[in-house]
Amino acid sequence: MGNCLKGSRADDISLLPEAGEREYSSTSNPASSHLNLNLGQERSILHSPVSSYHLKPNLSEEEQIKIAKRIVLINHLPIGTFGGSGSSSASAESKECVICMIEFVTGDQIRYLPCLHIYHARCIDDWLIRSLCCPSCMEPVDAALLVSYDQD
Amino acid sequence: MAEPQSSLLLKKQLGELNKNPVEGFSAGLIDENDIFRWEVLIIGPPDTLYEGGFFKAHLYFPKEYPLRPPRMKFVTEIWHPNIEKNGDVCISILHEPGDDKWGYEKASERWLPVHTVETILISVISMLADPNDESPANVDAAKEWREAYPDFKRKVARCVRKSQEDCS
Repeated sequence: MGNCLKGSRADDISLLPEAGEREYSSTSNPASSHLNLNLGQERSILHSPVSSYHLKPNLSEEEQIKIAKRIVLINHLPIGTFGGSGSSSASAESKECVICMIEFVTGDQIRYLPCLHIYHARCIDDWLIRSLCCPSCMEPVDAALLVSYDQD
Repeated sequence: MAEPQSSLLLKKQLGELNKNPVEGFSAGLIDENDIFRWEVLIIGPPDTLYEGGFFKAHLYFPKEYPLRPPRMKFVTEIWHPNIEKNGDVCISILHEPGDDKWGYEKASERWLPVHTVETILISVISMLADPNDESPANVDAAKEWREAYPDFKRKVARCVRKSQEDCS
């Protein structure tokens, strides 16, 4: 509670473009500028929200690699369709995505975390880029996965 | 252009809080056309030094909400170790999520996208009742709270009185 070290933001290196300062690596491609405005539409085409992430061109190589690794890691997490024939019991229990607070509807793309919490893929993927933990139970996502991936 | 997720989510919360008010605070918008800037009135929690006070505060949500936290600032003068003299609230759940590999160790103390106006205010109200003097935002208030409690109490009492006058 109430924790506020003056320097505590120093480790919050934001690797993500903030509102108003979004920049795209390929400014010559006019299509990319629509990405920001039509995320919903764009995403349904891409089927993989994280792949639509554009990195800040001024990121260090190390930071870019870090984000790229994280995107690969996120894409290793199982994805499914809400209400689909292959859906597990977890999706039958959860009624809404606690990030956007909108009820799941049949056909929504769902991401399954190792702790079995489920979210809209478009909601959780953007979060996992920022913090690799489940927003509901704070379970890391996932140390084991990360280690196994690093060894690949 | 479709309405962004952040504004839909905030509208939903505002509607819900209007329909089912939560004890301890009331919430609305600073400007009814701007869903990203909220004004809340916090009732000084009972059995604390702040009891009887009415503290106005503003919440400023980023467009990336709920992926990023809002900022919170008390507009009513308030004397508290974790609130800066200019009113800025310093509470760990409003800190940007960490992004380093080991950041998850403290992830639960930081911002999470499941936080709502309600959960933020519950944390702030509990902070009023129970200051954290390990990393104060108002060093003078923290020092008084630790070493000169009667002075601290007097200053808070003054703020409480002032807040009542402002509201009447």
